[in-house]
Amino acid sequence: MVGGPQTHRLSNGGLIDRSAPLSFRFDGKTFVGYQGDTLASALVANGVKLVGRSFKYHRPRGILTAGSEEPNALVELRTGARREPNTKATTAELYEGLEAASQNRWPSLRHDFMAVNQLFAPIFVAGFYYKTFMWPAKFWEAIYEPAIRRAAGLGRAAGIADPDHYDKAWAHCDVLIAGSGPAGLAAALAAGRSGARVILCEEDFALGGRLLADGGTIDRLPAADWISRTLAELAALPDIRIMTRTTLFGVYDGGTHGAIERVNDHLPSPPEQQVRQRLWRIVAKRCVVAAGAIERPIVFAGNDTPGVMMASAMRTYVTRYAATPARRVALFTNNEDGWRTVETALDAGLQIAAVIDARAEVSPAHRSLASKGGFTVLNGSVSGVEGGKDGVKKISVSMTGGARAEVEADGLAVSGGWNPAVGLTSYHRGRPKWRGDIAAFVPDGAPPGMVAAGAANGDFGLGACLREGFAAGASAARDAGRNRKAGAAPVAEDEAYSLTPLWHVAGKGKAFVDYQHDVTASDVELAQREGFESVEHLKRYTTLGMATDQGKTSNIAGLAIMAAVSGKSIPETGTTIYRPPYVPVAIGAFAGHHRDETFHATRLTPSHHWAVEQGAVFVDTGLWKRAQWYPRAGEKDWLDSVTREVKAVRGGVGFCDVSTLGKIDVHGPDAGAFLDRVYINTFSNLAVGKARYGLMLREDGLVYDDGTTSRLAEDHYFLTTTTAKAGLVMQHLEFCRQVLFPELDVQLTSVSDQWAQFSIAGPKTRDLLKEIVDPAEDLSNEGFPFMGAREVALRGGIKARLFRISFSGEMAFEISVPARYGEALVRNLMLAGKQFGVTPYGTEALGVMRVEKGHVAGPELNGTTTAADLGLGKMMSTKKDFIGRVMAGREALVAPDRQVVVGIKPTDKARRLRSGAHIIPKGQTPGPDNDQGYVTSVCFSPTLDQWIGLGLVERGRERIGEIVHAHDPLRGEDYDVELCNPVFYDPDGGRQRG
Amino acid sequence: MAEFSWEVRSPLERALVAGPYGVRGDAGVSLTEIRSFDLIQVMARRGKAADMAEAARARFGVAAPDAPKAVGTPDATLIWSGPDQFFVLSKAGKHSIEAVGSAFAGSASLSDQSHARVLTSVSGTKARAMLAKLTSIDLHQGAFPIGAAAATSMDHTSVTLWRGDDRDGQAVFNLLVFATFAESLWHTMLDAAAEYGVNIGHSDEL
Amino acid sequence: MRIVCPFCGERELGEFTYLGDAKPARPAADAGEDAVFDYVYLRDNVAGAMSEHWYHGGGCRAWLKVTRNTLTHEISAVEPAAGVGAAKVGA
Repeated sequence: MVGGPQTHRLSNGGLIDRSAPLSFRFDGKTFVGYQGDTLASALVANGVKLVGRSFKYHRPRGILTAGSEEPNALVELRTGARREPNTKATTAELYEGLEAASQNRWPSLRHDFMAVNQLFAPIFVAGFYYKTFMWPAKFWEAIYEPAIRRAAGLGRAAGIADPDHYDKAWAHCDVLIAGSGPAGLAAALAAGRSGARVILCEEDFALGGRLLADGGTIDRLPAADWISRTLAELAALPDIRIMTRTTLFGVYDGGTHGAIERVNDHLPSPPEQQVRQRLWRIVAKRCVVAAGAIERPIVFAGNDTPGVMMASAMRTYVTRYAATPARRVALFTNNEDGWRTVETALDAGLQIAAVIDARAEVSPAHRSLASKGGFTVLNGSVSGVEGGKDGVKKISVSMTGGARAEVEADGLAVSGGWNPAVGLTSYHRGRPKWRGDIAAFVPDGAPPGMVAAGAANGDFGLGACLREGFAAGASAARDAGRNRKAGAAPVAEDEAYSLTPLWHVAGKGKAFVDYQHDVTASDVELAQREGFESVEHLKRYTTLGMATDQGKTSNIAGLAIMAAVSGKSIPETGTTIYRPPYVPVAIGAFAGHHRDETFHATRLTPSHHWAVEQGAVFVDTGLWKRAQWYPRAGEKDWLDSVTREVKAVRGGVGFCDVSTLGKIDVHGPDAGAFLDRVYINTFSNLAVGKARYGLMLREDGLVYDDGTTSRLAEDHYFLTTTTAKAGLVMQHLEFCRQVLFPELDVQLTSVSDQWAQFSIAGPKTRDLLKEIVDPAEDLSNEGFPFMGAREVALRGGIKARLFRISFSGEMAFEISVPARYGEALVRNLMLAGKQFGVTPYGTEALGVMRVEKGHVAGPELNGTTTAADLGLGKMMSTKKDFIGRVMAGREALVAPDRQVVVGIKPTDKARRLRSGAHIIPKGQTPGPDNDQGYVTSVCFSPTLDQWIGLGLVERGRERIGEIVHAHDPLRGEDYDVELCNPVFYDPDGGRQRG
Repeated sequence: MAEFSWEVRSPLERALVAGPYGVRGDAGVSLTEIRSFDLIQVMARRGKAADMAEAARARFGVAAPDAPKAVGTPDATLIWSGPDQFFVLSKAGKHSIEAVGSAFAGSASLSDQSHARVLTSVSGTKARAMLAKLTSIDLHQGAFPIGAAAATSMDHTSVTLWRGDDRDGQAVFNLLVFATFAESLWHTMLDAAAEYGVNIGHSDEL
Repeated sequence: MRIVCPFCGERELGEFTYLGDAKPARPAADAGEDAVFDYVYLRDNVAGAMSEHWYHGGGCRAWLKVTRNTLTHEISAVEPAAGVGAAKVGA
């Protein structure tokens, strides 16, 4: 048997499976628990009280709660790549082999070096960092912050990639229910019987909520039997989905909710093909929040000593897990409900040391319970706790009237009353409202369609929970249009709940409000004295409520103390704004499938797999994978390959997949008129069978996109866009069609994916095409002139479209075939072109040839240039209106000193030109005042045997031949360049027309 | 002179490996690519919605869908794809763009999309669970009955989704996705389905 | 957020693209620079119900005019842009 005996496990009872012992390790020591335990309950059962060190003062901390509100018992769960910091031991399910480690201690939990921080505690007050580390400013990043981060903080992230998978899914329902306590189950029953589609989310792995610990009688059945009966009835209904281990963490507009399902967190690792967690987006017509309430601590000196525990949590450990947090228990309460812990403890055979009740009156029933149980009831408050890392030893009591008393105990149960869980209902900026009778905030201003029921609504009695839950479920179903009879609500009695509000007991020593962030009552008082009185200021100045628990156990006490010291009422003081998520959600769950190679969708061209076979190197261009170049054996780098590809095209023939260009069918009688309005030049007069280069502006007069458009029929144009703007241009054209020019009869369809399109370029292009095109087609300069566009037959029977357009300055055609023939086409081009040395080329060679030819592309069409800047001002029609026409005429857009496209080459032919280099007049010291532009595109030109480029330079076209200075502060380079004609290659265009 | 073969290649030809995938045992999801089809986008011209409807009825014997629905005829399926437009899905050239062109002359503009999409059918006991990871559309029996259609997105990719006739008592969901996105979405679908076990195949039957 | 597309029904936000204020109308060709300047640049900063252009690009590709409360995100009306129903003009 590994580990010691479970010293604090009751011999019977509890919702644990004693036939399934599980061994686990905490801080390297082996223990045993049972199936059905949480890590916290298993630690309790093994008598472990000290589980962590606090954030700032490194004080010893134990387990405070038994749920997701836990501020103290945070551990690093698992090891290696799966290590997860700040995991709540109170919700982590035990599994065989679980490994957990305490956090924020060195070298060990029991002997924590950083606990010396406690000696300096008087200076670690609210705002300490702001006040102390103000100067010198440069010390902050270098010295202060790293030192502070080492000393403070919680667990360590794994630091390596998470090996597990996460996914995301959508769900839809009529009625969504948060919580499976009495209110949630009653709501599910009512909604389900009404015929509604129901989703019930429960963050626990067991259903029943507080019933699991507090029991009760419902419909004359013990709570456990009622749960079973209810679940059986729900299972028989057609559309009820119950999701355990699932926390509803947020509500968003339009009835969309966020939930996190811990699908396999309860196992050492997810089974094959399964995910660790799943993020749900649940669209619900109505939502019933039956998320219960959170018992609140009372702030007193030493209230963070291990062994001080919420009264309800103590009941949970004893009843649900048969684990005893203490043997001799004291209770400090200000309300009736706390006394239930005494009953539970007595039933379990534990000793009651005393009950400290802050109320003036204690009920006769409890008085007689005290005399029967042989313990005293002290009317007063706990003012101090003696003890430390080994737990509570002695409790000091200030009696009403001034006397003092001491109580010896090894555990202190505390109940300050209950706060409804108002998170979900407040996420749309709803401000909860104060209810004096229960001294708590209850939901108000919930998002549309959301209602709270039961304890979440401030109605704590079991009978009330059932009634309210049932009514809320039935009415939610009705609102969703489901009207079957819901029958009768489950019935139970309501327990008494009376309390005298008590938030803070004065005393010597630190009294914690926010355990996780080590915020004390005196920090709150200090904040008030220093003027940070508004709760939003209080929060940020002291960091109250800003830890991973979001102040579930501390916010209300903090603002109550603020109210007291500022002389206001609690509702006047108010709450801070509540924001999702209700519990921390792993980034991995938000990312889901979208990581690594599947970070985003990928688009592949029709020749992709062929290019892979060729050994192409690919570049990501938006979503596309494009062949960048095709390396061959013996080539030492990319430049070798690209240079070869360019020379092969200029000297023979090559082809490049340009299927990534956006392609749009523009149909209809008004297609030409439509294009006239979206392009600066005219298309209505384009002859059928012809292509034309077009430029689009934005309405503000700057260039939007360019491309060629061909007229294939009287009422059919085929428009192309740049790769980058394909989707946006489609959206823009649809806007023009649907919003701006609804009177035009025009239809648009994206055909980007319908056509595989290749550019074939080089002096031997026509020779290659003759091999592949049906001999009946006339490809001569007369039969198919420059800017011709028409359908042709290919050998072997299929049809293609040919466009005689050139981006390289060479004799060139673009050929397109239906996409599923794309791969056959490249193979046939290779076959037919073998005799001409046909060479596939990638986007780099394409780029080199367009720079050599002075064509503008993305770096020049950069959202700041006008048509004239690009040297295309003459294209702008003066005979028609078009988008951007008026604004393009603005003074600044036609100013003579604008930066315009010009060619650039280093005066030293051996020099490499780099894009991004700034252009400065020769002989001047570079600075913002004399910056005249920059280099936009560069390439090594195999044709000119030197680096060349294009740039945007002030008055560039008037300065051809001028030597200027290129200043590149990023790379520390300075050199002279010559401004030149941007058309480096074949300036009169003879080659592409020949 | 070289002899050219014009082999038609589906964008999924390499990615699709017929057989089982994911968790072993009874497959919860069947993924079948339909490889051979004609697909035409039909868009009514201005003021010609009624003429287009009339032309559709004359050609196909049924009213073209005027709402997100798919209408089956013996040799074609008409699928709503947006306001005043629909797809004609058919096979073997019966309703190819050449065959249908004259029927809609003057009333609608036609665009051939036969190569622009990949068609997949998803079925099996876990089809809805798997699709819930990909689509925000509610596919519940009551919300998405047989014949329901949607122009929507999966993984930020536009798709056309419709429910065909049940097969072996199981719902069948058909999916048209842009061809250049198809391989990427295919892998995403496999990832989504792996935990249920997948049976992968392809077919030429619509 | 969810928008009820008049053609597709209720859909999630991710299918839509926001453009902005739907109130400014594109001036006539002869309206002059001031009018176009206003159209391009001048926008009201509305706190409350605002008419906006949204594109259902992840769905039926219809441009929509959505009336949305900028304070609460409540959507009170959705209608198609003028050209979307053009096929039914005169019917």
